[in-house]
Amino acid sequence: MSESISQAGLRTLAAEWLAAGKTVAGPVRIKPGLVQYRALRSGDDLLFEGVQRPSNSIKEFLFPKAEKLYGYRVQGNSIELIESDTQERVETILIAARPCDAAALPILDHVFNWDFKDEMYNRRRAATTVVTLACSTHDESCFCTSVGLGPASERGSDAMLFDLGGGRCEVRCLTDKGRALFSGKTEKSDQIGNVPPGPEKKFDSKKIRTFVTDHFEDPFWQEHSLTCMGCGTCAFTCPTCHCFDILDAGPAAGNARVRSWDSCQFATFTVHASGHNPRSAQHARQRQRILHKFAIYPEKFGDILCTGCGNCTRNCPIGLGVLSVAIEIDHG
Amino acid sequence: MSETSTFEPKIVAYVCNWCTYLGADLAGTTRLEYPPNVRIVRLPCTGRIDFNLIVKAFEIGADAVLVSGCHPGDCHYTAGNYHARRRWILFRELLDTLGFDLRRIHFTWISAAEGRKWQQVVTNITEETRALGPYTDLYAAGTFKDVPSPVNNRNGLRSFAAQNDLREHCRKLLAENAVKVVIGYGVSGPIVVTKPEDADRLVWNNHCYANLTAYLKRKEIKALGKPAIVVKPCDEKSLVVLEKESQLERQDIYAVGMACEGVGEPKCATCQARTPRFADVSLGQPAGPEPPPSPSPNRFATLMAMPPAQRMAFWTSEFERCVKCYACRQVCPMCYCERCIVDRNRPIEIDPAPSTKGNFAWQIARAFHLAGRCIGCGECSRACPAGIDLALLNVSLHIAAQKNFVFEAGIDPKADEVIGSYALQDKEDFIR
Repeated sequence: MSESISQAGLRTLAAEWLAAGKTVAGPVRIKPGLVQYRALRSGDDLLFEGVQRPSNSIKEFLFPKAEKLYGYRVQGNSIELIESDTQERVETILIAARPCDAAALPILDHVFNWDFKDEMYNRRRAATTVVTLACSTHDESCFCTSVGLGPASERGSDAMLFDLGGGRCEVRCLTDKGRALFSGKTEKSDQIGNVPPGPEKKFDSKKIRTFVTDHFEDPFWQEHSLTCMGCGTCAFTCPTCHCFDILDAGPAAGNARVRSWDSCQFATFTVHASGHNPRSAQHARQRQRILHKFAIYPEKFGDILCTGCGNCTRNCPIGLGVLSVAIEIDHG
Repeated sequence: MSETSTFEPKIVAYVCNWCTYLGADLAGTTRLEYPPNVRIVRLPCTGRIDFNLIVKAFEIGADAVLVSGCHPGDCHYTAGNYHARRRWILFRELLDTLGFDLRRIHFTWISAAEGRKWQQVVTNITEETRALGPYTDLYAAGTFKDVPSPVNNRNGLRSFAAQNDLREHCRKLLAENAVKVVIGYGVSGPIVVTKPEDADRLVWNNHCYANLTAYLKRKEIKALGKPAIVVKPCDEKSLVVLEKESQLERQDIYAVGMACEGVGEPKCATCQARTPRFADVSLGQPAGPEPPPSPSPNRFATLMAMPPAQRMAFWTSEFERCVKCYACRQVCPMCYCERCIVDRNRPIEIDPAPSTKGNFAWQIARAFHLAGRCIGCGECSRACPAGIDLALLNVSLHIAAQKNFVFEAGIDPKADEVIGSYALQDKEDFIR
């Protein structure tokens, strides 16, 4: 026996949550060829089918692209700080997230809590419930199975949805948060949701870790990264990339100290005040990205800093990404 | 008391040091009265006024902006005001496309002897702005008519006949040491080939989207030695602009031009350039466009048919998705500054955060730096992970350059650049 709900029922639920003042976000078609995770305006916005995965990631609902830390007021020689609100965050429900997005949240939890407990992140995290839709398709950029995940990974999810066909989904609640959302809203069903196996394993992540640790100075990096354009698309659409910059936005931006996303692929990421740049060439930046994902983060926290979503490859203007590097390392 | 009657407009006036500032000074010393709503910012010359300043004034709460300098022929630096006039012509068109209220942006010539004109201009602008009310439409969200998306006709992979010629030609170039490196297309994207035996990795098919001339600016590529670069007839125009701007010596680049059958990008449906004109060699035969050749709906006309406030609402909603990954800048062959204005932080000129203001300021700067330089390859739109139709802004400036100066970038190597040159008869109908 299992619990199930219709897609129409899910839309109605989403509308109820919205009416209760909650933020509900999920895949939305923005325009032809573009699906993104966005805050829903109505339950009908929600897109269940016909898309591999949204082109952004759910991290922006917990770690926004720009977030005011506090404001300030300059008066003569003195500066007065204006604390940001310490109110509880609006309850947020992320619905039909992909497993590769949900799995990124425990990864981010480590980063925002190991030496400093990041209140901004934690408050959002506590107020967020993640309802994941298991993947029934994959494309050539997907590689979750190569980093220890799969199309039905439960990691980071509070509840999972499995497509049963005929506009119905099986609901599997995994945490109290998930149960709170769906209790009394589902029907009994004798169908069990099943998803086909994900993409075939494309590389051995242990091999990548060994390679990146042992080949810091290797012509491979130079050859491989020659065509990288140095934009931040890979990092900004990645569910796990979490680097940020802190800047003081002047009067035009309302006198605030703001945290905003940053990317190790930018030339300015490591530039020192003196002008010296320890990563002055693009290959050093590409190497850093792979090193961080497969060696630095795993050394500290155990997991790989990658969920195999393939967003870097899909969004890269020239088709580079973790996958192509990892395959080259593994097969080369 | 109603709000309009208590509303006092804030007006920022950027004036040149030599004429208008002295004109304002004269107005003061001759005891001419004018409304105190104007804040004067003195700059050396109108030719030196950064267009970002106009935007910035609105950002910090100005209800109207006035820019004023010496009359034509009177410039202390001979031609600063002529250069300024030309830039204003284009900049107004960009702001119009973005939905700025042009009734709040004023340009004028006021000489050192025209204290009375200063008095009148400031009085008039204050009254006009008072009638318009506070500028609340700036970057405001709202409803707007949908602008259709550009149509891609991307089809399944189809190799073009000239692929073999391309491989042979590049193999020879490398074997004879005519070039050190070939920048071309590979199976999954651009590749860099340095050995003759690797020339077979090059492909030529309907998935060759990228404009490879963007690699010419990258120092990692420059370090490899003389490059051969595979160009489509649309892409090669950037070589003309880059050479004009002294970014390359044409003999240091070997351009392998490919007669193009179309790659299914929106630009392909209306493409006029199927055969290379500026390349060192032209391979293959041009055929018709990728089927079916359905041209994109005229997005620009749809956009401009909306009232300004709706246009701004449209852009506000588009830019909301911008994450400032700078893919638009990185893939642009014309964005070659070593340190981009948005990366400068002493002082911060453009808010680097992906906020509404920061995104507008960035996109305005990006588009206007490409005024009269953009060759229309559409890479900015193609690269944008948020699907923002950035090329629309470039289209607006392209049309403005054609309309006002009969100029198209990358077509005529002998033509003067639009920005950086001027003509005495440039239009003035918008200047008081």
